[in-house]
Amino acid sequence: MKKNKYLLLISSLLGLGLLAAAAIEENYFREWRRIQEQARGESGPIPVQLRQIVNPALKAADRCVSCHVSMAPGESMLRGAEMLRPHKPVVHDPAEYGCTVCHGGQGQATEKDDAHGRVAFWPEPMLPREMSWAGCGTCHVPLGVPGEKPLREAELAFERLDCYACHRVEGRGGTIRPDGGGMEGPDLSFAGLRGYDAAWHEKHVKKAEAESGAWRKSFAPVSAEDQKRLEMFLRTRTGASALVRAKSVFLSSGCLGCHRVNGVGGDDGPALDAAGLKDPGRLNFTGVPGGRQVSAWMAEHFRSPVSVVAGSQMPPAALPEEGIRQLTFFTLSLRARELPERYVPKDRVRAARFGEREFATDGETLYGAFCSGCHGADGMGRRLAGLAAFPGIAHPDFLSIAPDELILRTLEDGRPGRRMPGWLKPEGLRPEEIRAVAAYLRELGGTTRQPDSRPARWVAGVAARGRALFERYCTGCHGPSGKGGEGPALNNKVLLAAATDTYLVETIRRGRRGTAMAGFAEPAPVRPALSQADVEAIVAFLRSLEGGKS
Amino acid sequence: MMPATEPKDALREFRQNLRAAPKRMLETAFRSGPPRTDRSRSTFVFGNVFLHLHSVRTHRWSLRWLTTAGLGIATLAAFLITLVTGVLLMFYYKPYPDAAYQSIKDIHFVVPTGRFIRNIHRWAANGMVIAVILHMARVFYTAAYRRPREFNWLIGMALLVVTLGLSFTGYLLPWDQLAYWAITIGTNIAQSPREITDALGITEYFDPGGLQRLLLLGSDTVGAEALIRFYLLHVMLLPLVLAALLAVHFWRVRKDGGLARPADADEILARERHEETYPVFAELPQKTYHLAAIVRGRTPAVGRGPENTVPSMPHLFYAELGVLMVTICICLLLSICWDAPLKELANPNVPENPAKAPWYFLGLQEMVSFSAFMGGIGIPTIVLAGLGLIPYLDRESEGTGRWFGGPGGWPLVRFSLVFGFSAAILIEAFAIRFGWLREWFPNIHQLVITVLNPGTVLTAVYAAFSIGAMRRYNSTRAGALALFTCFLCGFAVLTVIGTYFRGPNWQFFWSPSDWPVH
Repeated sequence: MKKNKYLLLISSLLGLGLLAAAAIEENYFREWRRIQEQARGESGPIPVQLRQIVNPALKAADRCVSCHVSMAPGESMLRGAEMLRPHKPVVHDPAEYGCTVCHGGQGQATEKDDAHGRVAFWPEPMLPREMSWAGCGTCHVPLGVPGEKPLREAELAFERLDCYACHRVEGRGGTIRPDGGGMEGPDLSFAGLRGYDAAWHEKHVKKAEAESGAWRKSFAPVSAEDQKRLEMFLRTRTGASALVRAKSVFLSSGCLGCHRVNGVGGDDGPALDAAGLKDPGRLNFTGVPGGRQVSAWMAEHFRSPVSVVAGSQMPPAALPEEGIRQLTFFTLSLRARELPERYVPKDRVRAARFGEREFATDGETLYGAFCSGCHGADGMGRRLAGLAAFPGIAHPDFLSIAPDELILRTLEDGRPGRRMPGWLKPEGLRPEEIRAVAAYLRELGGTTRQPDSRPARWVAGVAARGRALFERYCTGCHGPSGKGGEGPALNNKVLLAAATDTYLVETIRRGRRGTAMAGFAEPAPVRPALSQADVEAIVAFLRSLEGGKS
Repeated sequence: MMPATEPKDALREFRQNLRAAPKRMLETAFRSGPPRTDRSRSTFVFGNVFLHLHSVRTHRWSLRWLTTAGLGIATLAAFLITLVTGVLLMFYYKPYPDAAYQSIKDIHFVVPTGRFIRNIHRWAANGMVIAVILHMARVFYTAAYRRPREFNWLIGMALLVVTLGLSFTGYLLPWDQLAYWAITIGTNIAQSPREITDALGITEYFDPGGLQRLLLLGSDTVGAEALIRFYLLHVMLLPLVLAALLAVHFWRVRKDGGLARPADADEILARERHEETYPVFAELPQKTYHLAAIVRGRTPAVGRGPENTVPSMPHLFYAELGVLMVTICICLLLSICWDAPLKELANPNVPENPAKAPWYFLGLQEMVSFSAFMGGIGIPTIVLAGLGLIPYLDRESEGTGRWFGGPGGWPLVRFSLVFGFSAAILIEAFAIRFGWLREWFPNIHQLVITVLNPGTVLTAVYAAFSIGAMRRYNSTRAGALALFTCFLCGFAVLTVIGTYFRGPNWQFFWSPSDWPVH
């Protein structure tokens, strides 16, 4: 029976040893303990204990501060490890908000990889450090953001006109009065949220007149255009200029043409309201450079959508690497979630309840946000493999003969049966915005419309003859009965309803340079020129399609 | 006449009594002294409320490592470990869907030793299931279910079912994706009688499947009701049932004469210890030792003397505590090295694909993939019935107490292993490679598939093999050996396939790296 005695003895000793090992590991070798042990505060070492920030309203119990001790409420100015640096100055006190509401990650964890969320089965990993401002999107909706070009002009105007000399914006610029009266000019970092004096220009000019010497030059009157730029700059100062810049890139990439954000946008692609909350465990990372990070996946998605999402119809974002980075940055900020009332910010209320727009409503921004994805930043259209060509709507040949009615009708009603949606709808654009887009198109094309004195319908041709001509010369691109193919669908109700006969006739006669549509009034090696009568017959045939014949 | 004594002095008595109090406390707590003689060792066991379920003397055969491999005690040890760690976890776990997952995270990260205790609980629970299956196999192979131990075998089967129930109910409690979808699968399997009632068109009148699922979930979906229900079953009802059954199980071990041993156990022991056997008593004693009155029936050591028995205190307890400690050590080691799994928070909108039941049900799930009713209810019922009938069908006496005892012996078991593995692998391979009846007869009636599917075919093949063994060796024990071994093989093969080779949509994949990504 000795065997059992020894079995008991040895296994008991082994068990005690294992328990001791586990106890030692838990109480001495935890990373957060070691960090806290080497921290030194003003009055010496700090007590070593688990620390957390609890915010029941935001459902947060963030234990990040067990390692990042300086960010805990009541702690500051600790010396020791790298991570004992205090939090950068931010609007929302981490001691109240916790950490994960902005940064993501797994707040309840006390081990580094678990806490940063870079483990399997945690769906919300921490945002990359350089994209931390994307966390603002959990609650906030930046309003009235312009496209990339207008925003850059606005930023440059503020610099060019030397406003930084007196005004501080996000820690940059500003002068302190030598006589100890504070800053020369107010801090404009949050002018977009708190508002600014509408009469600022008059006041500056008055001050210039009152002052003498060098100050006089500083306040020279500013041109109306520059005033507009400066005001756009002020309106977009919300304390997160990196996010606003990223949003402006988003608004110049035409994404809203297919995707909906906060209820506004197109239907071709999925809504993007939770696009920043992608669960890395459910993403396919084959072919994605940069590791299993959501940001890497997103960036590759923008570079080549169909390689990361099988069957994707999204065209590649035609942007350089920096633009891809900005798009990724903004998309990561699309992470809005249910918030308790106390934490709903004003901008979200303004957008959701009062219908204020997230984007600036000038034509350039609207075109960049809704149209440029398909029609190109220059308005000359895009050709993508496997898809029907997107027309060049700022093409000079088009604009010179297209009546305003055609452009407006197409914008409002779209082209049913084709990819162009009608934009006059609650999730789309408002009438004044559509008009702004149409005006911008004219500007983009750079041509003026040739006047047309004829009525909308004046063609008197023989439809039967037109059909024969159509079948000989047109169906190759425009499909049988004009239902479309390489070329646009000509039996489209909206097109036919809105287009004037002049427009149709002139398009056929002159063609559209740079596209496959030749000018049929000119002879070509494979066909003779069409006479005016021929063209009118074809148009008469097209008109006959209007009556519902498919 | 009373002798002359000092006059009574209450204060002196008080002081004397106070000084003597500690020693007296010990004496009154333990009514008999330290166990230094055989008699006091007997009283130590017999007179102790916790220990008196044990016999006072244990046969040396029962204490051999090879007799039982300590598996029964290992199962009990695993149960005790899960009990203690489970109660500790109950201090922090909250059985409500909004709070359950968070409470597990808090236990893991914040509660001192929380991670450790939770891991121990999980590994001990898995260990208990493994140990109970191995224990059942040991009892079978040593034919220890024979007269008079048939009923104890049935109690053991009930314990097996309750153990699986405990593990299954506990599986839901973390409320993560793993738990939620595993229980969805399990309760849908409980609903599988609908396969039959639907095929017969009688579901609206007679729906045992729906009733079973409703009873388990308390609702149509896996939600707060199911969680509370499973929690109650897991922490209170099933442990109580298990404890009651355990009491009966141990009591029957005693009443049936201790652990089974072969008739020539004494000779074998003597051979092992290089002794000669001799009868100790010229005449068999009428009474063995000072115990309760002998009643009609069996007593622990009727008809033989105490030779080859040793006092339970300390020898049996060394063995039991040794097994307990080894089990504890294994659990500690596993817990230090590997964390219990926890996936994302349960999300009813995002099914796991593949959604897998806990590992001990994966063989069953594999069969369910062929026919829900047969895999979920039919074949398990047949298996349980078959296992339960073993002691009543095999009433031979040859080989009791010896490993692979009885006609056939190890050669038959070896052959059955080969046959069992091969049959299971071949039938599975056929079904995986070529498909089943619907491949060639797309409109075949569901009931045909219910009756004729890889699970039932395998069962029939095993049954035929068992009948063949019975005839070959002219022994019911041989048939039992063949069938049980085949069952173990089938269970192992199906479980391994279900665990490692089934991927999304329950398709066969050689490796998880071949699984299609979303």
